[in-house]
Amino acid sequence: MLDIPSLERRWLKYKIKHFLPYVALIVILLLIPIIMISLYSNNNASLPDIKKENNPKKIQLIVPMNEEPMVLEPSMQFIQSLPAPTSETNAISPSTLKITPKAVISQKSAPPIQSSEIKPITAVLPVTSSVIQTKQTNKPSSINRDTAAFDIHEIEERFKNNSNPHLGLYIARYHYDHTNYSEAYNYALKTNAINNTIEESWLIFIKSLIKLGKTDQAKKTLQLYISQSNSDSAKILLDSLEKEESK
Amino acid sequence: MEYSLFIKPKELFIDIVNPHDYVQIDSVSHMYQSLKTSVQKPLKMILLYGRPGTGKSMLLHKLHHDLSKHQKVFMIDIPIIDENDFLRVLAQKIYGYVNREVITLTSFLELASAVNYPQTPLVLLDEAQLYSAALMEKIRLISDARALKFVITLHKTDDEDIIAKEHFQTRIWESIELRNATPDELKIYIQKKLLKSNCFDIANMINDKNIKIITKLTKGNYRDANKLMFSLFSLYAWFEEHYPNKINYNSLKPKWIEMAAIHTGLIHA
Repeated sequence: MLDIPSLERRWLKYKIKHFLPYVALIVILLLIPIIMISLYSNNNASLPDIKKENNPKKIQLIVPMNEEPMVLEPSMQFIQSLPAPTSETNAISPSTLKITPKAVISQKSAPPIQSSEIKPITAVLPVTSSVIQTKQTNKPSSINRDTAAFDIHEIEERFKNNSNPHLGLYIARYHYDHTNYSEAYNYALKTNAINNTIEESWLIFIKSLIKLGKTDQAKKTLQLYISQSNSDSAKILLDSLEKEESK
Repeated sequence: MEYSLFIKPKELFIDIVNPHDYVQIDSVSHMYQSLKTSVQKPLKMILLYGRPGTGKSMLLHKLHHDLSKHQKVFMIDIPIIDENDFLRVLAQKIYGYVNREVITLTSFLELASAVNYPQTPLVLLDEAQLYSAALMEKIRLISDARALKFVITLHKTDDEDIIAKEHFQTRIWESIELRNATPDELKIYIQKKLLKSNCFDIANMINDKNIKIITKLTKGNYRDANKLMFSLFSLYAWFEEHYPNKINYNSLKPKWIEMAAIHTGLIHA
């Protein structure tokens, strides 16, 4: 007796098994072109990627070129940090510094400056403002930078070596601010000798004389300077000096 | 069950070797005529060989059927393996000698010489590959003594070829090889079988495509073709009874042919 439903199931199984290799072959044949196309497209797509990758490489090559100053910046900082020793020395307070001033003028032994000694100084040809400006722009940064952390002794050495009037002015100002008036007097005097057109140097010189008690000499020098430079600041200082004397 | 168109065709393909169902196919007819001619010659032994299902047994039966009217022919379709039984059966069937005692080869030859036939009796041995070498040697001696003439059939397989070479090659005077059916031969075989039984409608349903499938499934084996057609018409009979609207009377359904092949074991599913 035939079992037709069972036979039909077995037949279906047989057909599936029979056609499976063909189906697999067809699928493979269909997949091969698809894979080839996808691979080809991937290759095409990868070419721009390579170009893109190359570009960044080029950029990377360029960027360091542009960044070279940036790379060198630390060395610049190192150069700029050359004054760092001043910071180290700054740890030593100015008060602890054992400055052995070469007492050009001391309170006791300082010889009175006569107007005749000043005259040749004041007779120096006036320097044009342009020269002053250029010289002022030479080292403004080195003077103005971080005055608190500054080794005055080193500046004094530098001034000794190069006789820069701005350094001299700075040292004179420093000593005047620190009530070291004799030193302020000496450096202001040296600065005036180098460059007699620096008004502040003259004023420090005169104020130091006043602080040292040499009011008369200061007044004479002040009057002499006013006559040469017609400085308003000097006039104001002279007025205030005279007012104090009248008191 | 009411009258079924497919019951009669189904019964036609029952796998029974019957000389009356012999279908004449050109190539097989040629082989048969050759065999008949060889039998008339004074040959001692004729070998009929071929692969299973090529029609050897049918041809042997046909020969037995045709020759038995004219001469003494004895056919052993089921091999007699025992040597004593073999000689005793031959003595009884051919010479009418009935003896329960063991018959030796010598006594058998004496008996053969004592009985005189106008033509040498013919013994047809089917499935001869099942006989032992010793028995085959006795058969050879009997044929050499011209006591009997033998037509033997062998399955043609690699191993059986060796047997044929060893035991028959030098002793066989004539050998005929039967081959598997071609699609055309199988078509003629099936259609002739149907037409002989007046199954015209069914014969018309079988087209070349169907035959191609049947040949592919059966590999031209007549026995397998018979089994397949039997299962196929059984299946058609079932559909005719349960789902007659599914039957296409113009051609056989390839699906149902394959289902029949699954049922007969020609397709392993």
